[in-house]
Amino acid sequence: MGLTLHHFLILSAILFSIGLVGALTRRHIIIMLICLEIMLNSANLNLIAFWHFSPNPLPLHGPLFTLFAIAIAATEAALGLALVLAIFRHYKTIDPESIQDLKE
Amino acid sequence: MNIAFYLLALVAVLGAGLAITLRNVVHAVFSVLLFFSALAGLFLLMLAEFIAAVQVLVYIGSVGILMLFAIMLTTNVMGDPNRPVRSRGWVWGGLAVIALLAGVLLPLISRTGGQTPTPLSDFNPSVKQLGMVLMDPYFASVGVIALLLTAGLIGAVVAATGASEADQKKTVPANRPNYPNT
Amino acid sequence: MNNFFDLKLVELGRWIEAFFADFPSLKLVVHLLLCTLPLALSFMGAFAFTTWLERKGLARIQNRPGPNRVGIFGLLQPIADGIKMLIKEDIVPERSDKLFHFLAPIMLMIPALIGVGFLPLGDGLHALPLDSAIIFFFAISSLNTIAVFMAGWSSRNKYSLLGGMRAVAQMISYEIPLVLSAVAVIMIAGSLNAQEVVASQQISSWVGSGNILQEFFGRILGWNVFKPWGFAGFIFFFVAALAEANRSPFDLPEADSEIIAGHLTEYSGFKYAIFFMGEYISAFAIAGIGVTLFLGGWNGPVFSGLPWFVLKLFSLFAVMIWIRGTLPRLRVDQLMGYAWKFLFPLAILNIFLAGFYHFIERQWGTAIAMLAGWILGFGALQLAATALSRLNQSPIMRSKRVYQLVE
Repeated sequence: MGLTLHHFLILSAILFSIGLVGALTRRHIIIMLICLEIMLNSANLNLIAFWHFSPNPLPLHGPLFTLFAIAIAATEAALGLALVLAIFRHYKTIDPESIQDLKE
Repeated sequence: MNIAFYLLALVAVLGAGLAITLRNVVHAVFSVLLFFSALAGLFLLMLAEFIAAVQVLVYIGSVGILMLFAIMLTTNVMGDPNRPVRSRGWVWGGLAVIALLAGVLLPLISRTGGQTPTPLSDFNPSVKQLGMVLMDPYFASVGVIALLLTAGLIGAVVAATGASEADQKKTVPANRPNYPNT
Repeated sequence: MNNFFDLKLVELGRWIEAFFADFPSLKLVVHLLLCTLPLALSFMGAFAFTTWLERKGLARIQNRPGPNRVGIFGLLQPIADGIKMLIKEDIVPERSDKLFHFLAPIMLMIPALIGVGFLPLGDGLHALPLDSAIIFFFAISSLNTIAVFMAGWSSRNKYSLLGGMRAVAQMISYEIPLVLSAVAVIMIAGSLNAQEVVASQQISSWVGSGNILQEFFGRILGWNVFKPWGFAGFIFFFVAALAEANRSPFDLPEADSEIIAGHLTEYSGFKYAIFFMGEYISAFAIAGIGVTLFLGGWNGPVFSGLPWFVLKLFSLFAVMIWIRGTLPRLRVDQLMGYAWKFLFPLAILNIFLAGFYHFIERQWGTAIAMLAGWILGFGALQLAATALSRLNQSPIMRSKRVYQLVE
């Protein structure tokens, strides 16, 4: 049984759900950012899988899109971690559930 | 080919799974680095060598180190043993994700065809073509990414150091030691 | 005479593989073993020889004899060192993170050994002939930082952690001038493939002709280090490579005269030996890429091929040892300032210089390009370097010196 597109898509879906579970249920801001990166990576896996299995793969469909996705994800990780530093300096905690200033 | 795929998939799922369940944050970051490298292996399996190299360089070499530095700077590294690991609504979160997976993602996947890859004789991805395409039609996108990265860099520095109007007006103290006759 | 050793080695490989022609999967395994095993073994042998070379070389620079007890000229010293490291007690701190404390030396060896696979040792002697080999090499060498951090963090020792963080900060800061100086070469060579970069450093019009003199010089003068942007790029690459390999004068993380050995504090015996080996092999790998990008790879006048690569690699390593014996160590703030405020702008200017040289060469030929490149381009780079070093000096150094006589 050779590798088909299904294998990669199911793997990518499983990885995405693992990331989503982590982002929804963990109580540490940095773990949430890590799970965000897991989700973005599984989306990149999806992109490359569709490129590889398409009938006429030019380099400008798969790697190009993925390159931009990686660049944007890295920028967003850097900014997110900078914000985490700012939050920690103010609230002295990394538990997102104890930051409740906007709750009445 | 199959063995490589299943092995890499197993390592990826293991890495991601450990990342969301480990208590120690640094261990979680190391396991997500394992996940990134398994993904780089999967990219290499699909003949996207440049993207595999970029994945290792950017994610493992830069984003991973960034996360480790952020952990060093924010948390109490030795760990608080009574810290709650899971948030209060974790049951509903897990159920929602399982519902998403089973109800939305898997039916969508089963509807796409089970395509097989194009034979290797026709498949010739090369980095040179990617480079030429980035120069000619897609140069504007490269410029936009450059702007985005610059803005991200400046924003990260401002957000992390908390620079404000008051700081800019502070005078810089003279850093010369007090030598006589100078 | 050209490519003599390379062709003989490739023939030897094919002859060995021909025995397994009837078993295709076994032939694949043998092919993989033939690609990787000689490389790993010869680099480990080179590591052993290099420890002797370093100790002897440093000793002669410092006017002392060096190891001379164990064999003739102390040549069996690496064996004595190996036995000593193996029989030392392996101390693991009780509160350390046992798994990562064990994994860190292995995590340093793996990128080093993968990295030497990307080196084009000769015509057709290439273990990992990827199309994007150069950027893959830089990606793999960025895994060294993870190993250093793992070592520093898992020891649960505040001095190890501090040393490890400093080492990681140094390594990530110097990755940028390293890659930028390689970008200039890749831009002109037009490919990320290591063999193509080496092939672009022959003057092809001279090498193909039958004239002996032209062939002789055509294999030397095409090296990137003789072009203005290549010379400057080579200097930046070499300095950044010294910093990436944590070698003097950038060896603050693991210096001999520091009270604490940084991230290596809690390692003893065999694990320390593995760290040592990993650092030396990764220094070999980066020097090898420097040879490929700037010094012409395996090109050489008479016996073109593998012997020239080995000669260039060892001479670069000898220069590293020489620098270690000569220059004092940089302080950590001087180190970071050097990377970000000096090397990084100059490496970007070097890319512009490479483009300038390339377009003038296409328009008006090599001679005018060389003239314009060396005088205008290199002059501009030198001007920028002087301006940056003036700007980066603290006010104390810029003020006039006043001497006080003792009354």
